[in-house]
Parts: sequence; structure tokens; C-alpha cells
Amino acid sequence: MTTPNKTPPGADPKQLERTGTVREIGSQAVWSLSSCKPGFGVDQLRDDNLETYWQSDGSQPHLVNIQFRRKTTVKTLCIYADYKSDESYTPSKISVRVGNNFHNLQEIRQLELVEPSGWIHVPLTDTHKKPVRTFMIQIAVLANHQNGRDTHMRQIKVYTPVEESSIGKFPRCTTIDFMMYRSIR
Amino acid sequence: NSGCSLALQAAIWQALNHYAYRDAVFLAERLYAEVHSEEALFLLATCYYRSGKAYKAYRLLKGHSCTTPQCKYLLAKCCVDLSKLAEGEQILSGGVLNKQKSHDDIVMEFGDSACFTLSLLGHVYCKTDRLAKGSECYQKSLSLNPFLWSPFESLCEIGEKPDPDQTFKLTSLQNFSSCLPNTCTTLVSNHNISHRQPESVLMETPQDTIELNRINLESSNSKYSSLNSDSPVSYIDSAVISSDPVPLGSGTAILSKQAQNKPKTGRSLLGGPAALSPLTPSFGILPLETPSPGDGTYLQNYTNSSSVIDVPSTGAPSKKTVSRISQAGTKSVFSQSGNSREVTPVLVAQTQSSGPQTSTTPQVLSPTIAAPPNSLPRRSSRLFTSDSSTTKENSKKLKMKFPPKIPNRKTKSKTNKGGITQPNLNDSLEITKLDSSIISEGKISTVAPQIQAFTLQKAAAEGLMSLLRDMGKGYLALCSYNCKEAINILSHLPSHHYYTGWVLCQIGRAYFELAEYMQAERIFSEVRRIENYRVEGMEIYSTTLWHLQKDVALSVLSKDLTDMDKNSPEAWCAAGNCFSLQREHDIAIKFFQRAIQVDPNYAYAYTLLGHEFVLTEELDKALACFRNAIRVNPRHYNAWYGLGMIYYKQEKFSLAEMHFQKALDINPQSSVLLCHIGVVQHALKKSEKALDTLNKAINIDPKNPLCKFHRASVLFANEKYKSALQELEELKQIVPKESLVYFLIGKVYKKLGQTHLALMNFSWAMDLDPKGANNQIKEAIDKRYLPDDEEPITREEQISEFGTDESQESSMTDADDTQLHAVESDEF
Repeated sequence: MTTPNKTPPGADPKQLERTGTVREIGSQAVWSLSSCKPGFGVDQLRDDNLETYWQSDGSQPHLVNIQFRRKTTVKTLCIYADYKSDESYTPSKISVRVGNNFHNLQEIRQLELVEPSGWIHVPLTDTHKKPVRTFMIQIAVLANHQNGRDTHMRQIKVYTPVEESSIGKFPRCTTIDFMMYRSIR
Repeated sequence: NSGCSLALQAAIWQALNHYAYRDAVFLAERLYAEVHSEEALFLLATCYYRSGKAYKAYRLLKGHSCTTPQCKYLLAKCCVDLSKLAEGEQILSGGVLNKQKSHDDIVMEFGDSACFTLSLLGHVYCKTDRLAKGSECYQKSLSLNPFLWSPFESLCEIGEKPDPDQTFKLTSLQNFSSCLPNTCTTLVSNHNISHRQPESVLMETPQDTIELNRINLESSNSKYSSLNSDSPVSYIDSAVISSDPVPLGSGTAILSKQAQNKPKTGRSLLGGPAALSPLTPSFGILPLETPSPGDGTYLQNYTNSSSVIDVPSTGAPSKKTVSRISQAGTKSVFSQSGNSREVTPVLVAQTQSSGPQTSTTPQVLSPTIAAPPNSLPRRSSRLFTSDSSTTKENSKKLKMKFPPKIPNRKTKSKTNKGGITQPNLNDSLEITKLDSSIISEGKISTVAPQIQAFTLQKAAAEGLMSLLRDMGKGYLALCSYNCKEAINILSHLPSHHYYTGWVLCQIGRAYFELAEYMQAERIFSEVRRIENYRVEGMEIYSTTLWHLQKDVALSVLSKDLTDMDKNSPEAWCAAGNCFSLQREHDIAIKFFQRAIQVDPNYAYAYTLLGHEFVLTEELDKALACFRNAIRVNPRHYNAWYGLGMIYYKQEKFSLAEMHFQKALDINPQSSVLLCHIGVVQHALKKSEKALDTLNKAINIDPKNPLCKFHRASVLFANEKYKSALQELEELKQIVPKESLVYFLIGKVYKKLGQTHLALMNFSWAMDLDPKGANNQIKEAIDKRYLPDDEEPITREEQISEFGTDESQESSMTDADDTQLHAVESDEF
């Protein structure tokens, strides 16, 4: 490929939620950053507002650490990046690592972004094509567009698959006839 | 000075009766400042309470000594409203630590209010975990006054099984009269003074009421004579409906001098009896407003209409019976001819402003009426309503209508609190009215009037009792979760009662508990149509819509309810359900928490919140919520179920089984519960028991497909492949589009070695699951494509049995990858 194609924007994660197949579990995790400018930290990264963002303030790689209380199945990561607004702050190379703690992280995904303009969906699967089960996720920004030093990240969402079978270890039922009898509410 | 205070009191009562609370409060404050008597204190506290400021009444009464029963009762009521249960109990019964009063003491002390006092005390006991004592209080309250519904309801809800036949009956004269506040004394004495003081009448004890009733029974002549100089006999003799509408005319004439032109609104308890059966109870019009003591016009309204023995116009009981009657009512009085007394002009003036039903005579249908119904003049039917149903009425047996004092008491507890006098006037009037109407019959004149009067009064009350018995049976059945029986009983109520919010909501709830959500939805939408102001029961409707996944209807419902009443927990539960269906769990949680804030004693809000926490995998919070629900209502089987579910998720199967069993003890008819128990038993390796349970579930509700599905899965786990397949084939017929069914069929065929069929079913399962996120199905197919390598397959089968796969060493070939590439979508 001579000219890299621009990364197309993905769909709004809200639609993903509405399918009922995934659930956002960022609230169950502890978030930390390698560095940030005051007023542009974790809260701005997790506030559901695309206008606010995290701005890093240190040397590369810039890290976002997501630590869960227990081993969690993570299916997809959604990152919002917009080249038009962030220009040289837009990440261009992102590495996603998982593991039990800071010392045993393993990279499972690396992605290149070319002038992204919306949501990027990053499916996290292990070697067997299943959603990864992990205690910790680390998102590392290795490089920015135009070789910028610091990075902006506007929003990150973490999704876990929903099993939703209330009884018995069976997959989810698909008809209302079954679902009606599935539980007492 | 006393005259001034009397006038002031009358003014205050009048203001209260017109809901003009600012006026009432202002005047009452002046009265109390003027006269520091306990009656004035009570009046002021009543004004505060009725205007919705219980805390004011509480602080006022607390600051002063309350020795009179009504003050104590009001103070206790304020305490309970403000959740100061211990204090309330102290006031009513002497408290937790002191020697408590016995029920008889309470009856002695509170007299007429004893039934309400005991009901309130019962409530306090139940809320403080002394169910046995609470139940006793409720029982006693009901024995004192069988017209009270709420103690009966509370008894059913705490799990007692009061017998409606025993409860709702008029056992003795004593009972009959003691239910009613003082009756005739006010009438007797009323003619002397223009304004009656409420408090003096309030002091009457049951003894008085017996006395009153006796007076009542005495020759009505004597009563009349006390009212006016005319010989009542002449009225009686000449009183025929058509010609002399007001036997009491003279009596009212006197009273009319004191009259203030106050409009009265009455309310018809029924549109008219369901005329299809003479045994259907009906009990006619009730005065909605309680007259202030000096309000003679109120009496007039009644006396005027009393002579009209109206035939209730039911005919074809329409769903809009109430409105129908209301329009008719006004006309009927006008059309009354022969209103020759001086009362007439006043009557005309009044009925114009009065509520629709006032003028119509209350009707009571009773089979015990002495006079042959057919002998009633046909004129009365015409008078009652203009509907075509009157003609039908004429063709049916005419029933005597008699004013029921009793229903008045029953429905307007307000009137009984401070304003116990008001109904007295009403009562006395009604009694005299009864007399007159009976007498005017002409047919009955052969029997002594007073006995007739009494019989007819009793008949009136009997009608109501009969209705309460039926409704009580239905409600009791529902609370015991005999839902089918409840539906049956309630459906046999007369249609004008059937098509009301309360009855339909109970029926809707019965269907809901039977998991017949379509039926429930139908019924509830009917409720919304006829009583769109009703919120009680709407939380069940919202959950029904949640089960049926009708998001638009649910959204409309929740918006409507929250717009209408932001202080009702039901509205917020509906809103929460709406967002839960949209999978916006955080917002749903917020709304359920709001419901709890609005009413911390509303168990269902906790349960729904618990379910929501389960969906967001916050199991600890969910456990806490369910436990709270049980704390509020130990018979809330949904919460027991919720606990069971959490333990199941945590794989604590014995705990799960125990909690499901507790839920089942409360509601033994639930096939969903039985199904869950079956699955848990299977997880505990009690497969035989599991199958028994599932069989029971299927017997109870053959329409529940999940029972069959789980039975098939248990059979499959026990290697009874043929039976499992048979079960699944049947299920396929019932629910042909359910991907789970094909999935399980595929697994069975896989076990049977018929890979082709297995694969076919798996791919059907995949197709039917458009969201494509079912990893298990994908994996099941994965295994199918392994080369003929038995070992990995069996190992993987075992693992896939549990659905959630651990990482395995399966060697997937490129062929597999490409095969499934199209199917798999790592995107969404």
C-alpha cells in the first residue's frame, strides 16, 4: 500500500449496548494514567463527553491503565479519536496489552490509526478467538500524528459480553416466548 | 361567647367540607386562640391534617395534652404518617414498655373510632414485626366494623387467611349500629339548634349508638313528631311515591330553615345493580360531602329524593355506568312530580349545583326485602335515569333502594375522623328516609314501619356485605396466589363493579402471576382506558410490558405516570422498567432508587433495583436490595427468587435451592419457579428430583416452553437422548424460531454421532440468532469441523457442555478459519 487509507470511523458504541450483547464495564475498573495535564485527566476521559479529553504530559509511551477487581472478560475496546480536532495530538500507533499486573503485561493488539475521525472499535481476543479474560488492560500510545509528543484521547469504553442466560449454562434465547418465562421480575 | 364559637365551628366545618383549607386553618387558629379547649385543638389539628400538613397537626397535638379519643387518634395517625411508630403505639395502646391496653379497653375508650384505632394499631404492629398482634388487631377491627376493607386487605397481605364469609357480615344489631357513628341523636337534637357542634356528638359511645338505633326502631312516628308538629301518620298514610315524595317534608322543612344552600355531591357506588341477578348487591348513592353540622340543605337533598324509589338503571351494564348515572341523577329529581312541599324550590336550587348523584336515591338491592319488588310503581324507574335501560329495568324485577348509611361510613373515613357528626345527620336522614320510603310503599304498611325500616336497612347493608364477601374471596385467593380461582371469583362480580380499576387491576395481577402476560396486558390496558388516574397496579403493568418487550407502550406508560404523579413509587418503577428494557441500566437504577426515596416501604422498588444490579453484575448490591425487599414485605416472593438467582450465579446451588423453595412456599403455582428449582436440583445432581419438579411445572403450566426445554436438557445430561429429542421436537412445534432449541437438538445429535444433523441444527441456531454473539454455538460448530479425532472432541464436548469455554488446545485448521470467517464477526 502506497498511500495509507484513512481509518474509517466505527459506529456509536451506544448502538452496541442496545443490542444487549455487550455491557460497558469501565465503571467497575480503576483507571490510571501515566501522566496528564491538570484538568485533563481520567474524569475527562470517562465523562461520556466527546468535547473533553485527556491530555498527557510526559514522555512516550503514554499509558492508560485499566485495572479490574476480578478477572473480567473483555470483548471490545472503543476509543474515540478525531484527527480534525486534535491534529498532532491524535494517536497514530496504539498498543493494547493485557495481563495480571504491571509486570506481566502482554501485547495482544497493535493498531495503526491514520487520521481517525470517530470511534475505533478494538476487539480483544485471545489466541482462540474468544474475548480475553484479564485483570488489567493497558493502552499504550506509542506515537502520534505528525510526531506529536503528547496525546489527546477523548473517550474510552470497555465492553464485556453479556451472557444473559438466567438459568442453566445455555446461550441467550432469541424469542420473546422463551424470554418471557426466563425469569421472575 | 359560646354562640360565637359555635358559629365559628360551623364556619370551619363548612370551609373544610369545601376543601378551603386556608380559610379553615385561619378560622380554626382564631378559634383555638379564643377558646383553648380540647375540641378547638382537635378542630385545628384536623384542619392541618386535612390540608396535608400532618407534621403541623403532630407538633400541635404533641404540645398539648390530648385526652379525648379523637385527639389521641389523630395524633397517633400523624405519628404513623411521620413514621414514628413507637410513639403512635404508645398513644394508642399504652406503649411498648408500659402495660398495654387490651382490645376491650381500646374499644371502651375510643368508642366509635375503635375500629379505626385498632386498624391503625394493627398497622403499627405489622410494621414492627409483630404480625400476630397486628393480625389480632385487624381481626378485632373488622369484627367491630365489617365495612372496613383495609384491615382485611392487610390481613391477606401478611399471609393470614381471614374468612370473607365470617368477616363481612352483619352479625347483630349491635354490630350494625356500632359501625355507624351516632345516628339519630343529632337529628333529634338538631332541630333545635341551627348549628350542631361536632364535638358533643363525638363523645358518644357505642352505648349511645345502640340507644340511637333503638330510637330509630321506635315508631318513626315519634321521630317525626320530634321534628314537627304535624302528625307523621298522615304523611305515612298518604305517602305514595307518585304523590308524596317527601314524607319527611315537614321535617326537612324545619331543617331547611337552617339550611344553607350548600351543594352536595353524591356518588353512586354503582351505576345501578347488575340487574341480571337480583342477588347482585348494590347500594346506590352516597353523599360525598359530609354536611357541616348546621347544614340542613344536605338533609333536604336526601329527604327529597327519599321518596323516590328508584330502579337502578343498569340494563345493559355499560362500562360507563358511573357517568351514565351521574347525568341521570339530576334529571330524576326534577322529573319527580308531586314535590308539593315547600321543600321543592329549595330542592331545585340545590340539585342544580349538587353533584349528579345526590338526588338519586341510593339504591340497595336486597333479596330480603319484604315487599314484592314488582309492586313498586313503575314511575320510579323513569325517574332514575334517562337511559334506555330504564325500560329494561321495568321489565326486570324492581328492586327497592334504600339509602345506605353504612357504605357512607365505609368509604369516607375522612368523615369519621373529626367530622363524625356529619354523617350522623346523613344517617338520621337516611333512616327516616328509609322509613318513609318503606311506608310510602303502601304494600309494606301492613307490617310495623319501624321493623320494616330496620329490615330494609339491614338489607341495604347486606347488599354491600355480599359484594365485599365476593371481593374478599377474590382478593384472598389472589394473595394466596390461587390466581385462577381469583380470576374466576372476580370475573363473577357484577359488571359495573368488574369494570373498575381496582377489580381489573387485581385480575391483571392474577394473570401476571400466572405468567400469562398477554392477558395481563389486555386487562391493564383496559384499566388505563377507564381509570387513567390509577397508579396502583401500574408497576405490574410496566413489568408485564417489560416481559413482552413492548418498549413503545412501556415508554408511553412511564411518561404518563411520571407526568401525573411524581410522588408515586409505581410511576418511577415503570420508568425504571422502561430504561431497563432499553438496556440503559444506569438510568434504570437511578429511577428505581428514586422510587425507593419516594416510598421506602415499597417492596417492589427494592426488588426491581436488585434485578437491575444483577444485570450490571453488581451482585453484592443486588443481594442487599433483595434483602431490603424482604425486610419490608416477607411475603414478597420475587425477592426470594432474586436471592436464589444470585446464589445460582455464584454457583452456591444449595443456597439457591433453599431460596427458590422459600419463594415457592409463598407462591406454589409458579411454573417459572418450579422450572428454576428443577434446574438447580439438576445442578446439585439430583436429576430424578429435577425431572419430577419439571414435570410438575409442565403440569401446572403447559404453555411454559422453558420447562420443556430444561426437561429436555436434563434428559440429555442423563443420556436419555431419545426422550430429549422427542421433547425438543415438540418444543420446535411450539416455538419454531427459538435458536436455543436447535442448539440443543444439535448437541443431542452430536452425542448420537449424527454429525450431519447436528451441524444442520447448529447452523439453524446460528441463523436464528442474528446478533451472532453466541460463542457457544460457534464453538459447537468448531468442534464439528475437527478431523476425525475423537479424543479432542470428547474433551471439548465436556467443556462445551458447560457453555463457557476455557482455553483449549484445539487445533483449528485454516479450513475452519475460513469456514467460520464469514459467520464470525469480531465487530458488532
